[in-house]
Amino acid sequence: MSSLLTQQASFSPLLANVHSYASEFFKASSTLGFLTNSVLVALVVLSIVLWFSRKATKNMTLVPHKAQNFFEFIVEFLYGQVEGIVGKKLAPRTFPLLGTIFIYILVSNWFGLLPGVGTIGWGEGTGFLSVKEVHDPLLRPPTADLNMTFGLSISMFLVWFYITIREVGFWGFLVHTFGPKGGLKGLMGAVVAAVFLFVGVIEIFSIIFRPVTLSFRLFGNVLAGENVLHTMGDMGGFIGSILAPFPFYFMELLVGLLQAIVFTLLCAVYIQLSTTHDDHGHEEAHH
Amino acid sequence: MDQIKGIAYQIAGDFGLAWAKFFAQVIIFIAVYAILKKYAFGPILGMREQRRQRIADGEAKLEKIARDAAEAKQNSQAIIDKAEADAARLVKEADDAAKALQERRQQDAVASANTIIAKAREAAQLEQEQLMSQLKREFGRMVSDATSRVTGKVLNTEDQTRINQETAAQVSA
Repeated sequence: MSSLLTQQASFSPLLANVHSYASEFFKASSTLGFLTNSVLVALVVLSIVLWFSRKATKNMTLVPHKAQNFFEFIVEFLYGQVEGIVGKKLAPRTFPLLGTIFIYILVSNWFGLLPGVGTIGWGEGTGFLSVKEVHDPLLRPPTADLNMTFGLSISMFLVWFYITIREVGFWGFLVHTFGPKGGLKGLMGAVVAAVFLFVGVIEIFSIIFRPVTLSFRLFGNVLAGENVLHTMGDMGGFIGSILAPFPFYFMELLVGLLQAIVFTLLCAVYIQLSTTHDDHGHEEAHH
Repeated sequence: MDQIKGIAYQIAGDFGLAWAKFFAQVIIFIAVYAILKKYAFGPILGMREQRRQRIADGEAKLEKIARDAAEAKQNSQAIIDKAEADAARLVKEADDAAKALQERRQQDAVASANTIIAKAREAAQLEQEQLMSQLKREFGRMVSDATSRVTGKVLNTEDQTRINQETAAQVSA
């Protein structure tokens, strides 16, 4: 895959000159070839999360202090949402992962809105500490790197598969996916079974493509936001570069939050869809 | 197949997909997950559970207090009811006793009045009888005197007795 990096220049952004890929600090063939500007920001996000979570949960008391209260609010809100989708049984097991995804994506998205992210870096020099255009920014939001969004999606896919198999078993998963529903027998039953078999094949394709859709949705939205902000920033001289992107920052704040919610809720829904059916079966059996 | 492979490589190239970067990002994500799970979700969910337990305990205590209060109120009401019943019974007993005593006293009074009246009647009767016999004797003597003076004859005992008897009979009539 690394050999394909030479083809990177073939993609041309529509608006501003924001690359569709993260810039490397070292040569791809070197040991530190993985260190890109998005990996750097991911490490910064990791540090922020570590710092804030330690601050929020250090010396916890029943009457919470400010940081604790804020973090408790986020965690309880997320837990409620996750529990509402995946159910009380699976919520404790899935929440840490889904909560991490939400917080990580949200912090990454909003980090991209900080001044300097995408605008400080290397390019064709025009004077002391100034470039005509930044070709290789120092910082790039991790969610604007397909490696990150795809990594996140693949991780989530593996966890989803593990939870599904653990909950309903491999055979249960196959029955859930391909098995006919409705309990029809005879000729109609055979027709319905064939239909559900076909639907199952489509479902398998849908499942396989989930990591792709999840990762490209998030990546595309954040990259598009970066493009919009950079394009607006290039308009109308110094004052224009301040005023023009201003409304779009609010939009990007919303998009950042929305994309974090969408990614997390979709993951939760995928887990719920593949595990709920069997729960009903068990409940009916108990009844 | 080669075409799909070619497209995939093209996409990977366009978006800078590389295994090293991919795994770097995955490792960072796993690190974030581990940090949040250890330092954030674990303690906060633990604290949430602790707080929930405390609230549940508080609720249970409140319910117990309310139950005890209701029970105490019920007990005090029962005691008050019993005291009221006892008081009513005592008042009724006292009233009955007073009535009985009053009746007995009244009967005694009536009885003694009747005795006094009877005695008075007896005494009056006796006195009347004594006076009547005295009157008869006196009247008989006076009739004998008058008869002896009118007739000038000394009346013997038999005459006197006969005159006395007739006089007494006339007086009694």
